[in-house]
Amino acid sequence: MAKTILVVDDSSSVRQVVGIALKAAGYDIIEASDGRDALSKLTGQKVHLMISDVNMPNMDGITFVKEVKKLPAYKFTPIIMLTTESQDSKKLEGQAAGAKAWIVKPFQPAQMMAAVSKLIMP
Amino acid sequence: MAIVNQCPEGGVNWVIDGELTIYTVAELKAELLPSLAPNGDVEVDLALVNEIDSAGVQLLLALRQAVTACGNALHMKGASPAVRDALQLCNLAHVFDGHASLI
Amino acid sequence: MDINLDSALQTYIVEARDLLHQMEEALLVLENDPNDSDTVDSLFRGAHTIKGSAGLFGLTPIVSFTHGVEDLLDRVRDATLNIDSALIALLLACTDHICELVDVVAERSASLDAQAVQRENALRERLMTYQVSTPTSPDTWVRQSVIDDSAVRAANLDWHISLRFGEQVYRNGMDPFSFLRYLNTLGEILHIVTTTTAMPALPEMDPESCYLGFDIRFRSAQTFETINEAFDFVRDDCAVHILSPRASLSEFAALLGQLPESRDHAERLLVESGSLLPGELDSVQSQLPTQPSPSTDLELPADPVQLRGDSAPQATAREQKSRESRYVRVHADKLEELINLVGELVIAGAGAKLLASYNPESELRDATAAVAELVEKTLDCALRMRMVPIGDTFSRFQRVVRDVSKELGKDIELEISGGETELDKTVVERIGDPLMHLIRNALDHGIEAPAVRQANGKQARGRLRLNAFHDAGNIVVEIIDDGRGLDRERILEKGRERNLVPAGATPSDSDIYNLIFEPGFSTAEAVTNLSGRGVGMDVVKRNITALRGSIDLDSRSGEGTTVRIRLPLTLAIIDGFLVGVGEAFYVIPLERVQECMELTSAANDAARRCGYIDLRGEVLPLLFMHDYFSIEEAGAGSRRQNVVVVHHLSKKIGLVVDELMGEYQTVIKPLGKLFGALHGFGGSSILGNGAIALILDIPALLTRLSEDSRACVSKSTTTSESLSVSQGQRS
Repeated sequence: MAKTILVVDDSSSVRQVVGIALKAAGYDIIEASDGRDALSKLTGQKVHLMISDVNMPNMDGITFVKEVKKLPAYKFTPIIMLTTESQDSKKLEGQAAGAKAWIVKPFQPAQMMAAVSKLIMP
Repeated sequence: MAIVNQCPEGGVNWVIDGELTIYTVAELKAELLPSLAPNGDVEVDLALVNEIDSAGVQLLLALRQAVTACGNALHMKGASPAVRDALQLCNLAHVFDGHASLI
Repeated sequence: MDINLDSALQTYIVEARDLLHQMEEALLVLENDPNDSDTVDSLFRGAHTIKGSAGLFGLTPIVSFTHGVEDLLDRVRDATLNIDSALIALLLACTDHICELVDVVAERSASLDAQAVQRENALRERLMTYQVSTPTSPDTWVRQSVIDDSAVRAANLDWHISLRFGEQVYRNGMDPFSFLRYLNTLGEILHIVTTTTAMPALPEMDPESCYLGFDIRFRSAQTFETINEAFDFVRDDCAVHILSPRASLSEFAALLGQLPESRDHAERLLVESGSLLPGELDSVQSQLPTQPSPSTDLELPADPVQLRGDSAPQATAREQKSRESRYVRVHADKLEELINLVGELVIAGAGAKLLASYNPESELRDATAAVAELVEKTLDCALRMRMVPIGDTFSRFQRVVRDVSKELGKDIELEISGGETELDKTVVERIGDPLMHLIRNALDHGIEAPAVRQANGKQARGRLRLNAFHDAGNIVVEIIDDGRGLDRERILEKGRERNLVPAGATPSDSDIYNLIFEPGFSTAEAVTNLSGRGVGMDVVKRNITALRGSIDLDSRSGEGTTVRIRLPLTLAIIDGFLVGVGEAFYVIPLERVQECMELTSAANDAARRCGYIDLRGEVLPLLFMHDYFSIEEAGAGSRRQNVVVVHHLSKKIGLVVDELMGEYQTVIKPLGKLFGALHGFGGSSILGNGAIALILDIPALLTRLSEDSRACVSKSTTTSESLSVSQGQRS
């Protein structure tokens, strides 16, 4: 059974590109457009990895991580934050909240896959 | 989840099925700890474990340590492919054969 | 959804082709210098990336085939496999095949054709033979305890990695196993020892805290940086110690001090992992106090991670990164659009300047002049963006020269100079074919077989040189060989046979040599596999001419041949010379203009009669533009006329025009389909006042005129003849 990755980003093109790369590698994808949307889609199903943007409307990535860590079904799920070089403070904030992995935007699909494969394998 | 069978000869038989991961280890420990008795070997059947991670392996190691500390042995009876794969990854298969010991 | 996959895939295709090209270059470098480890690394990375990215797109055929190549290269990198010419030949064939696989993706064909599949299977078999014969046993090397431990350990290929995970690691979403699995993608875990010394007894242990540690003997050809990066995400939650294959025993001794276990226990873990031999450290321990440099131990950095034999790979990687970040990949269409817009801007600017010149206010004129200057700079800048060095195109021929000379049994070296010379990408893209043809010609017919060369007192190894340089707004590309040169007599004979040379005439050497550019002219005695397939030098010439370039050739019997191609730097813009003929405007490419002179009315009459003038003792044929283009004379006779002397190759002609309007930088607009077949015009341009100027294609014009004059050799004047031709042409 394919593992499931939640992709949270307000940019649909980022979601699509990330989604396409991950699907090609054999993962199932759940897409969400922001933190609130993502939380509403986490209904207890198994999620093996979450990839979340930081700056998003409705609920930003840092808040999302903090909320996810409160959910028993997801508190041990690895989370990759999508940050930019200029967001070092956000990266640290994310790490403090429990999202220790990150990918610096812009990234090549290969870079993303390398980051993902440090955390889970298909 | 785990099923605990007390053997008439004094030993214990555990059957763990489903997930043996960080999401279940706390619960499993709570289920298994009370059945540890100073007498008799422990047999653990992992044939029905469909998912195991390092937290699961770590719990097995802790259980084994507790059993051997009393001078008894822990034998692994069955192992699912997931279990075999995980034990091979960290080179612990021999430890649960009941022969070798950890350093 | 599809669109995205598509664009990402397009990126991959471009990427893969670039990488394949780089790999090919790397292989050619290795052919001369098999020990160049940087090149081996880049070769490996190429295969690795092609495979890795192909995986993202589910391109299984590429992944599976490239995997074998990567494997083999991995062994080369490990130095368990030596590079020889057979291996290079195999790898070149493999890059060709991967290229084919990429083409399949690019062309959206379903799969390879049967032949290619056969080739693939053959290649796979050849790859397999390398794998089988390679020793893979990790125990092939034996270590001994001697005093100079670093020398002994140099043969070691294995890293040692000690990991001690922190309790929080699970709560941060990490599973230590995932890092082990990731390590397996970077190399091979030869042996791993799991330790739980940090774990409390069952009743006290928190199953959601991590107490695991691992000591790993790890075989990998990756750099320290890559291996270290594997643990980036767990940096806060794990003590990571990595000892390189070159780590000395003292570094191991230092590691023992770092690990949380007791020294004895830690040593047992290292021995168990296979990274240390039992008792191996004893010598170090007894040695340490008496070492020649007693401070060695103190100098050891606190973290063995910092202990590295060389920091060079790290530096190069950083350099590479910073270099990459200075580039932005821009879609060619966007650049095209920018250049087009700037072109329009130039025209609009010229219009404004013209209007301003009618205006008495000097401030307005100054302002428009400033704008015009900026516009010009912007145009330069925009055009420069499309400039690429010709070196990439040149280096592609390394492979051709290698393959072809092997096939021909010749020994030929390709020398490249001036690779940094830049020219417009659109030009670069279109000179590949003509260059290929010329190079193959030189290899095939120009450079002799080694035996023949030696017999003629030459070096057995032939030399082919590709050279490029800028010259007066043009780029000149030279293809120089040191072969037998052209056979002057044979060409002359053939020229006579085909009536290209009038009987009795004795043309100059250069004229004779340039005959080979005539349609259907070929002196090749044998049609080989390489050239002489019926596509002659005339096609080369036509291609070059279509680029507004010219080609000529110089040869010395027995010494070699030089082919010189002259090309404009860009096709988009032209430095022109604007002239007026009646109401019409023409732009003459500036590089074709030699000089201008006044044609006095007295001289005019004489010139009209005979069709030429005396230019400092030289006969200069004249072309009366009024007549040639059938333009009504506006106030005929009363106006002074001018002669613009234009040249192409060795030919010269004077164009008689009404008005000289000076230099004019202009953006070329294609003439469009309707007028595409029109000879003598290279395009059109819109002037600032909205009028249209046609751009004269001087080479085509000259060719046309000389053909006309050849056809009517009996006539003494050319003007009336030209007129009739031009009328026919205008229909």
